[in-house]
Amino acid sequence: MSTPLLQAQGVAIHFGGLKALSGFDLDIHPADLKGLIGPNGAGKTTAFNVLTGVYLPTAGTVRVAGEVVNGLKPHQINRLGLARTFQNIRLFKTLTALDNVRVACLSDTYAFFSRARIEAARRRSSKRSGAAAAMVALNNYVDWWRALLLTPGFQREERALTVKADALLDVMGLLHRRDEEARNLPYGEQRRLEIARALATGPRVLLLDEPAAGMNTREKADLMVLIRELRTRFSLGILVIEHDMKLVMGICEEITVLDYGETIARGNPERVRADPKVIEAYLGDSYLAAQGMRVPGGAG
Amino acid sequence: MASLPAPVRGVFPVLLAVGVLGGLQVVVGQLPFFVYLSSLVGVNVILAVSLNIVNGMTGQFSIGHAGFMAVGAYVGGKLALEMKDLAIAGIPHGVSDQLQLLASLALGGVAAGVAGFLVGLPSLRLRGDYLAIVTLGFGEMIRVIVSNLEVFGRALGLSGIPQTSSFMMIWLCVFVVVLVARRIQDSAHGRSLLAIREDEVAAEAMGVDTTAYKVRAFVISSFFAGVAGALFAHFVPIINPGSFTFVKSIEVVTMVVAGGLGSISGSIVAAVVLTLLPEVLRSLFLQVGGLEGGAALAQKVDQIRMPVYGILLVILMLSRPQGVFGNRELWDAFPRWWGRGWRAEE
Repeated sequence: MSTPLLQAQGVAIHFGGLKALSGFDLDIHPADLKGLIGPNGAGKTTAFNVLTGVYLPTAGTVRVAGEVVNGLKPHQINRLGLARTFQNIRLFKTLTALDNVRVACLSDTYAFFSRARIEAARRRSSKRSGAAAAMVALNNYVDWWRALLLTPGFQREERALTVKADALLDVMGLLHRRDEEARNLPYGEQRRLEIARALATGPRVLLLDEPAAGMNTREKADLMVLIRELRTRFSLGILVIEHDMKLVMGICEEITVLDYGETIARGNPERVRADPKVIEAYLGDSYLAAQGMRVPGGAG
Repeated sequence: MASLPAPVRGVFPVLLAVGVLGGLQVVVGQLPFFVYLSSLVGVNVILAVSLNIVNGMTGQFSIGHAGFMAVGAYVGGKLALEMKDLAIAGIPHGVSDQLQLLASLALGGVAAGVAGFLVGLPSLRLRGDYLAIVTLGFGEMIRVIVSNLEVFGRALGLSGIPQTSSFMMIWLCVFVVVLVARRIQDSAHGRSLLAIREDEVAAEAMGVDTTAYKVRAFVISSFFAGVAGALFAHFVPIINPGSFTFVKSIEVVTMVVAGGLGSISGSIVAAVVLTLLPEVLRSLFLQVGGLEGGAALAQKVDQIRMPVYGILLVILMLSRPQGVFGNRELWDAFPRWWGRGWRAEE
């Protein structure tokens, strides 16, 4: 099997005595659509934060496209092809929808050395690469001057960015909101704008943190279709955290269930739904006892 | 503008400004009081617009701008003193003076930029109030260091710096800093800065190297503060540590906040108004109160300025917390003429 785009092996994170996450394993391959569920406080968002570099794992390794990313900063991990959305929407509120997306398009505006060349330099030397750092620094320096002097190349790039951002807004059905401030968008559209923004960074893996939270049934149905479409269109690996069982069960091929930081079940939706441990975590053992261990049809 | 060759188009506004300001220089050169006032205004506009890049666009609260101004003033002033007896041969005296001034502005700016880098690199990892305290500490540190260094004349400061600053040079610097701020605002870099202001965590997650961007904004901002300081050194008879106290920093912060955090035109307007207000009051009192009573009143203007600023700021924060302009720009009201720069050419 090919190298996974995103791989977590035995990842643990402890805050003092609290084991927020332990022994967490995950593989995301191209075009995978996986789910991460669990009761409140189970460590789902913590897992996202570890994967994206917000927290440094206490143990275990995270790899993006085969490269160990423990200790890299979030923006570096993002550059390797991992993008996310946030549970509590974190848009750039006073920026327009277009600018929200254009901020994330930044990765394409390299002036001197191409992204590929810098990556190559980084890969050649095992740890910190002076050459790569120098190239990035020079890129940035030249880039600032291009912006200040308004060179034709810079203007071309800005236009290209705008075109790209427009296209993404179109994909997410937000083109009519292009010039509106993000904070003025309705809730569901804000969620979609976050996805558009994440896609603009050119990810290979997309992590969605409760994308359907606060949406009504119809918006949720639309979102399910959209997520599936994104996967095929951009051949993304997608990992979804979701509370809405119907949504997760409906679209994910594999589901991981967390409870108190431990992985208590993993498998296809049917298996997870039938797992007594999962039912216990969600509904409590008294429920199981009352049902005489009968496995109910739904676990939500 | 579309007919201009591409490499010139970017610097064309500056060339145009040189021409226009050169012409104005001839007209106003004979009005010393006007030149002096406009110099004060110009320096404060540069300070406010440059601080706005950090406080307004990037959302990092720095209150040590006077420190960077001091670095620029002293380094630029020292260079000017060293070059005092030199003149570039073969060109008119005035032009040679202006070129020397330009050199000392450049050196002052670079020195302040380096200082900004050294201060920014460790401290911009901090947030909010912590950063404010560090920058405040830095400003005071510079002042204390300068007042203990023999080369910078200790508490007496530097005097005898050639008074070569001109209306043209000051407003050219103003023009450049405004142009730079606008072009940053309109570029991918500016959007990254705004993103950091709006949500640092999200910006980082979207691939923006937040620390690096903050440091860059800080360096650009302190560079221009240094230029302002060097200009200042060339039109006041003496610079001493007393000119660059915490009060000066707060004055600039007041301008930025009053004008509207993130609004370039807001900073400009606030800097102009808040600089002219005490000056106008002072000359008004002198006119009205006769020589003796007037002078006493005029002196009071300086003393009551800070309390008045404080009250103004309180009123403003209560009634319009986003500042007079919010994050809007004056030129947004005239999109036809001012346009959004090159975007109008699309």
